[in-house]
Amino acid sequence: MKTLAIAAILVALSSPARAEDDDRPELQKMRFVERGDRLHVTASIAKLFDRAAYEALDSGFTSTVLIRIWIYPRDSTDPVSFMLVTRQVLYNLWDEIYELKFDDPGSKKVIKEKRKAEALRRVTSIDDLPVGPLSALPYDQVYLLAMEIQLNPVDPKLMTEVRRWLSQGTGGGLDRGGAFFGSFVSVFVNPKIAAADRVLRIRSQPFYRPRP
Amino acid sequence: MRDRLAVVAALCAFIAQPRPARAQERPPDAPANQPEPAPAPEPPPEDAPPPSAPDEPLQKDSEFGPLILIESIEVVGNTATQTELIRRTLPIAVGDVLHASDKRLREARFKVLALGFFRDVTLAMRKGGERGQVILEVRVVERGTVVLNRLWFGRSNVSPYWLGADVGERNLLGLGVGVGVGFIFASHGDVEGSRNQWATELRASDPSLLGTRWGASGSFTLVHGSEAYRITGDPQHVDSNDLRAFSYRRIGARAGVTYDVTALSRVSAGMRAESIVAGLPVAPTLERPDGRISAIDLHLEPGESRVVSGNLTFDRDTRPDPILPHAGGHITVSAELGSSLLGGSYEFATLFGRYEHYWPLLGGKHVIGFKLTGGVVIGGAPQFDRIHIADVNRMLTPRAFGLVLSAAAPLDILGTRPDKPTYGDLGGSANLEYAFELFRGSGKKRVYGGDLFLGAGLWGLGEQADLRARDASLYDAIPIDIYVDAGVRIDTDVGVFEMTVANALGRLR
Repeated sequence: MKTLAIAAILVALSSPARAEDDDRPELQKMRFVERGDRLHVTASIAKLFDRAAYEALDSGFTSTVLIRIWIYPRDSTDPVSFMLVTRQVLYNLWDEIYELKFDDPGSKKVIKEKRKAEALRRVTSIDDLPVGPLSALPYDQVYLLAMEIQLNPVDPKLMTEVRRWLSQGTGGGLDRGGAFFGSFVSVFVNPKIAAADRVLRIRSQPFYRPRP
Repeated sequence: MRDRLAVVAALCAFIAQPRPARAQERPPDAPANQPEPAPAPEPPPEDAPPPSAPDEPLQKDSEFGPLILIESIEVVGNTATQTELIRRTLPIAVGDVLHASDKRLREARFKVLALGFFRDVTLAMRKGGERGQVILEVRVVERGTVVLNRLWFGRSNVSPYWLGADVGERNLLGLGVGVGVGFIFASHGDVEGSRNQWATELRASDPSLLGTRWGASGSFTLVHGSEAYRITGDPQHVDSNDLRAFSYRRIGARAGVTYDVTALSRVSAGMRAESIVAGLPVAPTLERPDGRISAIDLHLEPGESRVVSGNLTFDRDTRPDPILPHAGGHITVSAELGSSLLGGSYEFATLFGRYEHYWPLLGGKHVIGFKLTGGVVIGGAPQFDRIHIADVNRMLTPRAFGLVLSAAAPLDILGTRPDKPTYGDLGGSANLEYAFELFRGSGKKRVYGGDLFLGAGLWGLGEQADLRARDASLYDAIPIDIYVDAGVRIDTDVGVFEMTVANALGRLR
């Protein structure tokens, strides 16, 4: 009975967590333009930064924005294009200037910016970004574009190390049965580290290429 | 590709489908009412997992930003944890020259968080005394470090109730040393010769001596027990009149060192010394249902005896989440050698292994896990070092500090050997488990996640003598059966909860 009671409490606790999960992509109206042999997109990811993340821009540490972009047919689950974009902001304490590093496929650049707000605007603006070859997007077919944007993602290997460390108890004793064959250990006070400081998921409106 | 499919599924599911926009800037003469595209097929499941692209590096290692020299490191916010412990944990030190975007700086926060002593860690820099020099500020928010490792409670056919807890402090005096203490009490039932049982254990460990890869651990255990054994009756039913019990006392200590070969692999070695005082019955016998009588070997020296042994263990854990694993694997191999040459009364060796691996399915929301555990005991090991049936069959009450709390027989599902041994020197289990991600919390949620799981497997336990001779058909003699388990695992910031069928059976039989 006690177990059932605990289960009921936990299920009750867990329900709001599910309801509030922010892994649902939000719809954002994006602008698509054909230029050359690529499709270009314009969007905004300013919501990625909250106040704490904004304040941390001048901490002297690198803030990293990782953007994953998929294009896929609306009636399919098979992406026709994927790309990864990395942007980093670093405040140079002595020169009092923000250094922004953009690492897009086929384009790498480092620019400098004096103002913090402008540095934020630049790093969260997706202006005319080439996202996929037009050859992969036949005319008149409807597509969607999805983005997952992470702020300061943690390297998976580092995450594995950290979580393993945190899950260790206070050492094993003579109880071999529990230590070796047992499959589970309860650890009250159970800190956990998220895979990124913040995550934003957005999706475009459906779009298609009209015939010329 | 699987991950990409997953994101597409997730994204498709949650969003309504508005009118499509045009990929090209609309020319002035373009028709205003472009036809609606064909409706999408049935959307994928709504709870498809978020995307990931494991083939892509998360961060480039190419550095940018100015070269800086760490002039000093200031630690702020720690009241219990010693500053030096935090400084040792950082992958950088005063005097280091590095790029401001150096990977070590990015990882520094997580190295400190990995201690488990802090609710939050933030790092910042400010100008130092000269151009290019910086002062690194590490601001920590401490958290409670008392942990409840285990709770024991339940009832069984030989113990009307048992109750106990194992608690620990992960950061004793702010030194990063972990200590733990456990105590369990089990009242005795009606079995002749039984008595109240209790056991206690004290532990201490430092996983990183002075910030090095070396660690040390030690423990002291005191066990005041009595253990039931069957003298007659149907092995599938427990009647206290069919059982007798003998009493014993164990006082033991264990000390060892660990070495982190890599971040995910560890080797440990140790020594163990234990004194056993057992009040054994004279020539105990078992009368089987068919009338045959055989001698019972309780695998203990009468009176006082000693166990002295050395052990070596290798452990590698690549599971990204050890609590709710959906990927990676874990392997542990341990060997122990006890000898009179070391001063002990028992000559024995044990070898145990555990392997588990998890294969994520459908973007990681589902997982298939395979677990293989087994061991062999060679020579005249004391009873407590042999494999107990509850070690391999999770549907039975597990031992606590070596105390046996139930005499229940395993469920006879396959109809194999009816009198499966309570102890054996060869045993193990193989288990296949399917788990489904019920939910995952995010942000500052206190419930991190929950999984529903269903598992089934084979377990077996035997004695080497069983392998040499049998007096029944192979099927009737083989000490193997199946077990099933199902339930929910929930990972929260106050602990890990596992509510399963096997867990319930283990507390009530």
